[in-house]
Amino acid sequence: MTDSGAGPSIGPAAGLGAVHRVTNEFEMLGIVKRFPGVVANDGIDLTVRTGEIHALMGENGAGKTTLMSILYGLMPPDAGEIIVRGAQVRFASPIDAIGHGLGMVHQSFKLFNMLTVWENVVFRAEPRRGAFIDRAAARRRVGALSERYGLAVDPNAIVGELPVGVRQRVEILKALYRDARILVLDEPTAVLTPQECKGLFAVMRNLVADHRTILFVTHKLREVMDVTDRVTVLRDGRVAGRLITRDTSAEEITRAMTGRNVFFEPRKASTGLGEPMLEVEALTVGDGEKPLVAAAQFAVRGGEIVGIAGVAGNGQSELVEAIVGLRPHDDGRIRVAGHDVTAEPLRLRRRAGLSYIPEDRAATGTALAASAADNLAMGFHRGAPLARGSLLDRSAMRTHARNLIKRFAVKIPDEVTQVGTLSGGNLQKVVAARELAHEAQVVIAEQPTRGLDVGATEFIHRTLLAQRDDGRAVLLVSSELSEIMSLCDRILVMYEGRIVADLAANDADEAKLGLLMAGAT
Amino acid sequence: MLGIFDILLFHATIQAVTPILLAAWAGLICQRAGVFTIAQEGLMLGAAFSAVAGSWFIGDAFAGVAVAVVVGVVLSAILAAGGVWFKGDTIVIGIGINLLADGLTIFLLRQLFDIQGVFQDPRLQGLTPLRIPGIADIPVIGPIVSGQTWITYLAWVLVVVISVFLFRTSWGLRLRGVGEQPEAAETLGVSVRRYRTAAVLASGALCGLAGAQLSLGSVTLFSEGMSAGRGWIAVVAVMLGQAHPAGVLGASVLFGLADAIGLRMQGLGLPNQLTDAAPYVVTLIALALAVRRRKTA
Amino acid sequence: MTVAAPRRWFQWVLSPVPLSIVVGLVLGAITMAVTGNDPVEVYTEIVRGALVGPNLIYTIGWSAPLVGMTMAVALPLRGGLVNLGGDGQLVLGGLVSVIVALNMPGPGIVKLIAALIAGIMAGGLYAMLAAWGEVRWRVPMLISTLLLNYPAKNFASYLVNFPMRDPANGMPESHMVEVGARLPGIPGTPLSSSVLLMVIAVVAIILFDRRTVAGYELRMRGLNARFAGYGGVNLDRQALLIMFSGGAMAGLVGASIVLGEQFRFTDYALVSPNYTWTGLMAALLANGEPLSAAIAAVFFAALQIGGFGMERATSIPRELTSVLQAIIILLLASRAGLRRRLRLGV
Repeated sequence: MTDSGAGPSIGPAAGLGAVHRVTNEFEMLGIVKRFPGVVANDGIDLTVRTGEIHALMGENGAGKTTLMSILYGLMPPDAGEIIVRGAQVRFASPIDAIGHGLGMVHQSFKLFNMLTVWENVVFRAEPRRGAFIDRAAARRRVGALSERYGLAVDPNAIVGELPVGVRQRVEILKALYRDARILVLDEPTAVLTPQECKGLFAVMRNLVADHRTILFVTHKLREVMDVTDRVTVLRDGRVAGRLITRDTSAEEITRAMTGRNVFFEPRKASTGLGEPMLEVEALTVGDGEKPLVAAAQFAVRGGEIVGIAGVAGNGQSELVEAIVGLRPHDDGRIRVAGHDVTAEPLRLRRRAGLSYIPEDRAATGTALAASAADNLAMGFHRGAPLARGSLLDRSAMRTHARNLIKRFAVKIPDEVTQVGTLSGGNLQKVVAARELAHEAQVVIAEQPTRGLDVGATEFIHRTLLAQRDDGRAVLLVSSELSEIMSLCDRILVMYEGRIVADLAANDADEAKLGLLMAGAT
Repeated sequence: MLGIFDILLFHATIQAVTPILLAAWAGLICQRAGVFTIAQEGLMLGAAFSAVAGSWFIGDAFAGVAVAVVVGVVLSAILAAGGVWFKGDTIVIGIGINLLADGLTIFLLRQLFDIQGVFQDPRLQGLTPLRIPGIADIPVIGPIVSGQTWITYLAWVLVVVISVFLFRTSWGLRLRGVGEQPEAAETLGVSVRRYRTAAVLASGALCGLAGAQLSLGSVTLFSEGMSAGRGWIAVVAVMLGQAHPAGVLGASVLFGLADAIGLRMQGLGLPNQLTDAAPYVVTLIALALAVRRRKTA
Repeated sequence: MTVAAPRRWFQWVLSPVPLSIVVGLVLGAITMAVTGNDPVEVYTEIVRGALVGPNLIYTIGWSAPLVGMTMAVALPLRGGLVNLGGDGQLVLGGLVSVIVALNMPGPGIVKLIAALIAGIMAGGLYAMLAAWGEVRWRVPMLISTLLLNYPAKNFASYLVNFPMRDPANGMPESHMVEVGARLPGIPGTPLSSSVLLMVIAVVAIILFDRRTVAGYELRMRGLNARFAGYGGVNLDRQALLIMFSGGAMAGLVGASIVLGEQFRFTDYALVSPNYTWTGLMAALLANGEPLSAAIAAVFFAALQIGGFGMERATSIPRELTSVLQAIIILLLASRAGLRRRLRLGV
């Protein structure tokens, strides 16, 4: 059932039996924002009531980030207005927004990693004694806040040394220190284990009981259903739905997000297992008491997709980098298609039959300033048909690129266009096209659908399944449990550098995986 | 050989350190703000010339210093505009400033003084060494510490001033934030542009002092290319000291010492071509050792 | 900026560069006016000094080493590596070539070839030393190449002031290289065949950049080193080889000046024309792209020779043209388009 959006009624802030008049904490009306070639926000109305937890949902590219940037004063809207507690406001900068009680917890933390927690929290609002910072007062205040709201953290710790979940608490403290009445949480659960999520939700409820308001930006349905009061769904820059959480369903929300009925398909089992194509034996990265990767041991056979689940930062990147050869390892053996590549450089590991779709397509997987032809040639450029001896055949390079562009339906005007102009999904297609064109026996895909919309995600998933059905070995590293569960035949879980579980897909469910990801045994 | 380690050497070291130290402070402040600058060489050179020109035409050493500081700020404004506002590459701009200073100083030397090479004149007012009454009489320390120019004393006092500024004041904290994570600073309302501009201009003033010390301090003359790589050594000092005041001070003193020893060995008869190379070789070795010891980049 | 099809560089040459040059010339005119000179007269003399009559030959003669030193920077820059050590590599190249030419036994042609090769190797190895410093010891090449200039120049100066000094003249210089070991001149011109050597080298570099596998790998490294490494390029080996090539180019310039024009090694003679820094500017302007860097170098050469002519005609110090150059590059660098991030790490 949809919600009309305004007017007094008995709302969730009713709390302890008292009947409060429900007010709108803030409203964004008729927001329009255009960028060259795209209308990111096309007349969006968003109303959030005081004391509620309101979800803002939408796929990647729906306009959530732009809308939040406008709300936080990072950019002005082309049209529309913002009303906070009944008064119209204009934010020229984040300082204005902060001054009106807005606090933002960004998806990628805006923290100073080399500074301490208290320095981060009081930054730009430092308590002073004359010309100097009053350090004792700063530490005291931070401690008091963290106790009050259940955000345990040591004020003197260096932020860069803290685990991700704790760093998020620092971000929240920053907002609370400035007495934020409205907290915007942008994809806060992306970096948390299921248990940490529960902790975060408890904090959120705490804050709301304190008459604060929370806007929860996310694309994760389950959490929305768990903790929010109302939902606004964006699609293609417009509002596609306003729903009351307890009256709606996952399907209804999904339909609003995607504009069509998406069926959650059951996993297609693999058709047959081949020989082990990737064998990792006692692979260790880093020495001393806490190695980054501790004695990893597993194998991936042809015809199966093995997934490594785990919250980002538990050694998955280091493990993959060590397997591929981008990072040295300290112990262990690696075999590709039966061939021992432990001592060999990356180039030879690739030749043995390894291809790799890296986590960061912009920083590692491509050269953004280069053309598609240049990007697609990498790895093929040392031999026929793209090269003869040490000379490049430029027209062969272009033909090769054109073929791949067509095969993967990359939306790009031609092969000489810079790939930096492409959208996330298309850029990922370029990377996948190149890597899969090697037709290697082993395909390693790391967070392959991060930041992609549903269409691109489906494409990548279909492609990986096709590789598996062709008899190749696929190693998938992902922090999205739903992705792992829908694609993988076997699931490994990594926690603090160790592989703590090796389960067949049928034996795994979200709850069990969640516990393993958090280190419980 | 050990005879060269005497009081005169240490006194000379302190003198030799001053321009490097000031240029290193300049680099440190910019580094902390997130601006990687290599313009110290050119800024110092331009300031050295301006100090001499100012002192000559106005007739007073202090006026010369003032002109040098102003010129330092003006030249560094190029870096502020090109590097901070227009987001150009600060390395290229730094090299451009160095080349500009090089050409401009030679050009103006001809145009204003009608001289090529070196401008030297007994009438040129240099900086007078200050005798500190109480300290000058302490044996050993006295002759080393007393008898330096006021710019030298300022350069050393700045260790404390800069440390306190960076780690104890709000502006220092915000500057550090700007340098570390400009995005984060911006979202909290700290203008990255403003802080970086201020840092660059301050570095220009400091290089102005460095140049003045160079041409009016230990000697009283201007010669083409006078900065002779000291600006680059200052860049290295900041790297070695990891932009921490104590470390930068240590690195600068090390190079000043190598410089002074080199000069001394010249006096002993070693050809200046070989002794001139001393500070650079020392720098390279120090860099190699220091960077190796640090496990992380 | 991409390099793909030829139309790209042509577009590039047309866009931000001319504007910056125009603005630079205007600022230069202001400088001239402020110091009491007539800009129109000055610019006319510069153009005349560069292109009219025999001056054109001088311009060509000056362009050759300048383009060479530009390539010494441009080649590593293409891969994102910084070579600020041109002076040192140039001097060592000249020094070593003279030592070999003076002491090598055999007929003149043998001495000549051996001297050229020795000069190339000296420059290359010295540059490779800095690369090794970064690969093995993580000393940034930006700093090490620069610092290494001084010991090289000082050492050469020492040698030519004392052990190697030719007592016949009052100046610190070496003995002369015998006639048979010199690079021949180009008949009908006062130019040395070293000009031809430079032309061949530049053409080779341009072909390398566009047509070879190694050139592709270098270009990709310059655009994203991590991407190149991930694609299988051995980054360390590439750094060593490309820095060697850059230094070798500088060494070749030094050797060809010594063997083709001056016929001896004179203290400061190789570095006083400031080829290194002008070449650096040209390379930076072009972001390492060889052809446009070479064109920029020729432009700067014309500017400098024109400066000599201007000084002869108007008594204005020729450093004015250096000032003009610096202004132009500052303007260009300030434009957001010149965004090459010079890498400090391998």
